[in-house]
Amino acid sequence: MSDALTVVVLLLVAGSATATVAQRDPARQALVLSFLGVLLAALFTVFQAPDVGLSQLAVGSVLTPLLIMLSVRKVRRRARSEEGTE
Amino acid sequence: MAVNGWILAATIELGGGGAAALWGVATGPPARRVIAQNMTTSAVCPALLLLAQGYGRPSYVDLALLLALLGPVGTLVFARLLGDDLAGQQPSAWALTWTAAGLGAAVVLALCVAGSPGRATVKLLVIGALLISGNLVASRALAGGFRGVRGG
Repeated sequence: MSDALTVVVLLLVAGSATATVAQRDPARQALVLSFLGVLLAALFTVFQAPDVGLSQLAVGSVLTPLLIMLSVRKVRRRARSEEGTE
Repeated sequence: MAVNGWILAATIELGGGGAAALWGVATGPPARRVIAQNMTTSAVCPALLLLAQGYGRPSYVDLALLLALLGPVGTLVFARLLGDDLAGQQPSAWALTWTAAGLGAAVVLALCVAGSPGRATVKLLVIGALLISGNLVASRALAGGFRGVRGG
């Protein structure tokens, strides 16, 4: 029973990691990345490492997407203001 | 280990919900992606609760508590910062939202009935309330229900 769970979670992690790499737009990549972060926390729980899962949950589900989205917004604003001045 | 219905339920929940969320988050227009990202919380959090019960380790419930707290925060980050991509769209899927809320409530109630009443029951109920209310707040924010959250 536990093996089936491990296989399911591993397949999901592999699928979402591949999907993350395959995205072109950084904003969409951040969306898939936050999904991957939550799934990784579930994977760590399945492997009986909930302490690692806790930190992965905090970092992966909120902090990383927040940093990426803030950077994307800043880059887009800069590009837009440079277009405006030219 | 005896046949463990809780872990079987967690497997089904994680497989079904996770696959649906992965498909939704990796394809389609941005509106659908944020809805799927929001659904991740309500799919994985009950699975974590079921895992805690299946492994017989009540301390694993903390993960579900943290996810119920942080998942909606992550969705709100996207609702605030994806303003350009979501402009003119009103991503909402209320049927899905209520289904997810009902699923979370069903899992929490089942675990409450299975366990002995006490502090653990209160903790489970708190997690359930956080999960459902966070899901509703995040869905409402995505649908443009709160002035000033969208755009930015």
